Amino acid sequence: MMSNLAVLPIIIPLIAGILLAFIHKKTILARNTAKLLSILNTGVAAYIFYYVYQNGTVTLETGGWEAPYGIVLVADLLAITLVLTTNIIGLACVFYAQHSLAEKKESFYFYSFFFLLITGVSGAFLTGDLFNLFVFFEVLLMASYALITLGGEKVQLRESIKYVLVNLFSSIVFVTTIAFLYSVLGTVNMAQMAERVQEVEQRGILTTIGILLFFVFGTKAALFPLYYWLPKPYTVPNPVISALFAALLTKVGVYSIIRMFTLVFVHQTSLTHDLFIWIAGFTLVFGVIGALSTDNIKLIIAYNIMPAVGFMIMGIGIYNQTAISGSVYYLVHDMIIKAALFLLVGAISYLAGTSDLRKMRGLINQYPLLGWLLFISAFVLAGVPPFSGFIGKLLILQGSFAEGEIIIAIIGLLSSLLILYSLMKIFVRGFWGEKDETIIVNKKAANAFTWPIAFLIFFSVLLGVGAELFYPVVEDISNDLLNPEIYIDSVFKE
Amino acid sequence: MEIIMSVVAGILFAAGIYNILQKQLLRIVIGTVILSNGAHLFIITMGKLKRGAPPVLEYGITEYADPLPQALVLTSIVISFGLTSLLLVLSYRAAQENETDNMEKLRGNHDE
Amino acid sequence: MLFAVLIPLIITLSIPFLSKFKGKIHPGVFVFFVPLGIFIYFVRYVGEGFSPVLESNPWIPSMNIFMDFYLDGLSLLFVLLISGIGALVTLYSIFYLHKSEKLAHFYVYLLMFMTAMLGVVLSDNIYVLYSFWELTSISSFLLIGFWNHREGSRYGAMKSMLITVFGGLSMLGGFILLHVITGTSSIQAMIADTDAILGSAYLPLILGLLLLGAFTKSAQFPFHIWLPDAMEAPTPVSAYLHSATMVKAGIFLVARFSPIFTGYQWFFIIVSGIGILTLCWASYMAVRQTDLKGILAFSTISQLGMIMAMLGFGTKAAVFAAVFHILNHATFKGSLFMIAGIIDHETGSRDIRKLGGLMTLMPISMTLALFGTFSMAGVPLPFLNGFYSKELFFENALDIGDTTLWIATMMKQVIPYLAVFGSIFTFVYSMYLFFGTFTGGQKLEELPKKPHEAPIGMLAAPIILVGGVIIIGLFPNLFNESFLAHAAEAISGEEVHKHIAFWHGLSPAFFMSLTVVALGTLLFVFRERWWKIYQTIPGSLSFNKVYNRLLSGLDVYSANLTNSYMNGSLRRYTALIISTIFLVTTTVMIGTGGFTWKTDDLAAITYPELLVGVLVSVAAIATIFAKDNVAAIIILGVAGYGQALLFVFYRAPDLALTQLAVETITVALLLLCFYHLPQLRTRTEGLGIKLTNGIIAIAFGSMMALIGISAHSSKWFSVISDYFLETSHDLGGGDNVVNVILVDMRGLDTLFEITVLGIAAFSIYTLIKLRRSKEGE
Repeated sequence: MMSNLAVLPIIIPLIAGILLAFIHKKTILARNTAKLLSILNTGVAAYIFYYVYQNGTVTLETGGWEAPYGIVLVADLLAITLVLTTNIIGLACVFYAQHSLAEKKESFYFYSFFFLLITGVSGAFLTGDLFNLFVFFEVLLMASYALITLGGEKVQLRESIKYVLVNLFSSIVFVTTIAFLYSVLGTVNMAQMAERVQEVEQRGILTTIGILLFFVFGTKAALFPLYYWLPKPYTVPNPVISALFAALLTKVGVYSIIRMFTLVFVHQTSLTHDLFIWIAGFTLVFGVIGALSTDNIKLIIAYNIMPAVGFMIMGIGIYNQTAISGSVYYLVHDMIIKAALFLLVGAISYLAGTSDLRKMRGLINQYPLLGWLLFISAFVLAGVPPFSGFIGKLLILQGSFAEGEIIIAIIGLLSSLLILYSLMKIFVRGFWGEKDETIIVNKKAANAFTWPIAFLIFFSVLLGVGAELFYPVVEDISNDLLNPEIYIDSVFKE
Repeated sequence: MEIIMSVVAGILFAAGIYNILQKQLLRIVIGTVILSNGAHLFIITMGKLKRGAPPVLEYGITEYADPLPQALVLTSIVISFGLTSLLLVLSYRAAQENETDNMEKLRGNHDE
Repeated sequence: MLFAVLIPLIITLSIPFLSKFKGKIHPGVFVFFVPLGIFIYFVRYVGEGFSPVLESNPWIPSMNIFMDFYLDGLSLLFVLLISGIGALVTLYSIFYLHKSEKLAHFYVYLLMFMTAMLGVVLSDNIYVLYSFWELTSISSFLLIGFWNHREGSRYGAMKSMLITVFGGLSMLGGFILLHVITGTSSIQAMIADTDAILGSAYLPLILGLLLLGAFTKSAQFPFHIWLPDAMEAPTPVSAYLHSATMVKAGIFLVARFSPIFTGYQWFFIIVSGIGILTLCWASYMAVRQTDLKGILAFSTISQLGMIMAMLGFGTKAAVFAAVFHILNHATFKGSLFMIAGIIDHETGSRDIRKLGGLMTLMPISMTLALFGTFSMAGVPLPFLNGFYSKELFFENALDIGDTTLWIATMMKQVIPYLAVFGSIFTFVYSMYLFFGTFTGGQKLEELPKKPHEAPIGMLAAPIILVGGVIIIGLFPNLFNESFLAHAAEAISGEEVHKHIAFWHGLSPAFFMSLTVVALGTLLFVFRERWWKIYQTIPGSLSFNKVYNRLLSGLDVYSANLTNSYMNGSLRRYTALIISTIFLVTTTVMIGTGGFTWKTDDLAAITYPELLVGVLVSVAAIATIFAKDNVAAIIILGVAGYGQALLFVFYRAPDLALTQLAVETITVALLLLCFYHLPQLRTRTEGLGIKLTNGIIAIAFGSMMALIGISAHSSKWFSVISDYFLETSHDLGGGDNVVNVILVDMRGLDTLFEITVLGIAAFSIYTLIKLRRSKEGE
């Protein structure tokens, strides 16, 4: 189905970003415009999601140049689901931002950068052209560089450099890899690549290039052993920004891996996908170990990004329908809960005046609601039913047991326990205990923080309790993913 | 020639990486510039070299160089330029705030 | 049944509202009716003609997750325990917890637990069962942490959660395997498909995983360590969760899956083995405790071990005995916990060393405790239910059934002795508990409060439970046919009928009982003489230490490990990343035979290009060796211009121009930056670091070159550019194909390329400006 709909989730935030750059000095106006546009964009994404779910994949050949020659946008169910999730998270962040950012930062193009980040992310999900994917990667990365440095604190600048450099390196390798692929396959269109790779059965150098590409995305997705750059820089910017990063950036990497390794490089799975299982295992283990290694609550959450990514890659590695459904479910779940958790620890450290667990106690007396939200999110993240994490984890584990991948499944189960432990540490040590009388309740800020977080956690609960509503969608997605012809046909038909 | 150019691009990569692994910020920035150059050289090389005229259509000429890699490199050069400038300013600011341009001194400790 | 299970959870929503009345009415009064109602709802099912009921509700049907509730004899037994004891505990809590406590929280957790526990015993779907299972752990965590300002409370809560959630996750693993093997998520359907499970290669794993779940929840050796620390919870909670119901969830799980595993000898070996071991160890350890609740906690552990052992025996009679003891244990242990709570409440202490001689001050409590402890000890009196279950235990320990594996046969020989050993210590701690508290000299000056008898409301619940002890003692067959037989049938899969008699001749079991009483009395009376033994066994050995070490080890080693590689050094990070990519990718390239070399389709080599190529390479390398920063920048410029020259050779005039412009600006910027930061110096590295850097750089560069050559040698397809050349003029309206591609065919790229530049510009502006304005402040 050909429709201009596919471009809207990219164009709206782009225009929003530009528009907001003009009114950046009028903070209040910018703030409210941003909220409004965010709602609009989420609404549009929701509509497209519904449309795609009803009518099948929507494609758009930009500039009227037919695929594979022009750039084609492909809003298949996976892409649009992720775009919708992105926008929901964006919405929560916009409402959280005004209380979290100093007005100074807000007026320095925060909202512009924010919308351009959304543009890049949505574009990355929607594009069907590998080089265009690179361009959208650069858009979102550039926006992220702008955001991570926003404020220019000493520590922030120091960590930003590491963040920028590692990503820069992986971008350079990315674009080189595209060149290699172009040489072998004569195209940069993903659907055509898939066709051509299939034709030559992924012979010769192709698997090598595929692995190189995997590492490019793996660096962005924070896989073992490429994630060193991630934890620390994610703790330095404002919580809203960390939340956006955690929810979106690594997940774009995961998405790209899912896309390329279910569409294009699927003819050597005994090699590539088995490698993924190993990497997933190490990512899980080192991630949770990292999460246990620190008393800095922001860092605890940052390390928790890795085990989640490990789970998703595990599902891809196992490569059967159940496991892939699980990965997709987990992906959506993790985007939401990671955003919620980063906002949450941001709020906690703001209100407690420290992010060091050793200096906190008894916060439940002052901020009961935040405490309970943290409590619930701990279980959401650890995958305890009936929350969203459980559904994805269950599917992945079912898939892996069914394939006889016992060890990785047991690693997955054990790491869930340690994930829970790492978060309950925050609850038990930070929220329980004697009341800390030195903390004066800042009710206004607490309330303002609570709503966006509760909004996101509501979705997490909904994704779990109401899994019957969403599971069929995810099953459709995994069905599409396991049958690349569906994607290819949707690009080349008409 | 393509093989030689691949080797040259490989050398650019190696030189770039070596620079990136240095501790001085300025060298690191230089490294990224060299790396991008290497990547661009790869792109051009992968589109076959010197097969026909520059891709500006003219009557009577049927053989042209592959225009797509050129377009990709153009896009990429511009993007790299943006990145380099940002990185440069960022390094400058970081070096200024932290009063050193030695990345090994910009480690930070685990618990802050 | 769905409603019955969920009603406590629904009621929790009204709790905050109810606590508005806190000034006038204790919210426990309202809550009391919830378990009572559930009890009345389910007690209707009791009767000889009972047959199992299945109620199906969808939840996530497309994932095979149904809220199916299956009420058979086993679940009925548990449901009545949960609701019955639940009602009594709530009644008790009204008097135990003062209105100044956070009662709303307390009752919310308690009701949450009720729903969870009812769900566990009624669910037929493994995933729903698991969900409720974890919810019991969560509510238990919250209840143990009710007084979370206490350090011990937090420690106990965390410990219980970690251990039980660990078990829960293992169990989930077992469940998923069962699901994968049988294709169903219904327990009853699995039981119908036993052969598939027993024939599976994963059988040992499944059994192990399920039993880990059961053993952790039911505090079996060596996972029992969480239960004593759980005693930090308010006493009603201890009586309810940590004695009567939650800790029996593990027992329930084993019972539930018994029909599948009974034929499998390892089931007997592990379940009975661990059960007996738990019985012996915990009853031995109970004698050493000084806290009343500590004694009761270890006592509970040992009794759970005994029930577990009987389930492991697997015979019809043993199963019946297990079921019978589940009921009996709930009555006497529940009442004893409540008495312990009363003593704590009235004297302000639970330390048995400070108590003593309370007989005259608290006569009613003393009488109740007398029945409770003597029943627990298994004293042969016809009005104590504990005696009957102990007798049945001995009988069954002597009659285990056929075994073929040598371990099983050996265990059959040993178990009767261990049973007697464990029971002797049970006798000793029961006596110690009773006499230590109520007889002997009073030490009132050591007690924080002046003791007196508890109010009648507080005594009501234990009186009812002790009533149960006596009634079952007097009429041991009262519930057999209508109730217990159904439960035993559900476990063993066959019809079970049993008649229990107080006197049944001079059987071996009777002599075992006599031995227990005789030796137990001796040991109790002369306890001072042999107490030193605890200094040798266990001495300083303790499983708590293992847990603490493990946990602090986890913290310390994770920190050490993580800090060892996450050291903040950018060089380290990039070096590791690049090396990894190199190693794996090269391995893959070699493994798949990826390297290809074809020379038939190459451009001719000409000297000018070659020269420029060499120039670019040399310049790039020279940046490394340039000592001076300015020199390095200039050399970089040379490399860039050389590259532009290459673009000219390669028929890319637009590129050459852009490259020239960009390179010029970059060099200018670099110099500008250098000008503003004059303190920049060249820094030299050690030789080792230089060498590693060099190796990494050369390795990665060569790899890229090789992949590039291979990619160029594998041109299998025609390129899409041909289309651009054909259509650029007619469709694109331009003759410069590169330009047409940029602005038209790939216009989207260009649009966002400009966006990237725009963001960079704004970001640079912000980086510079935001600081300025900060300085201005």
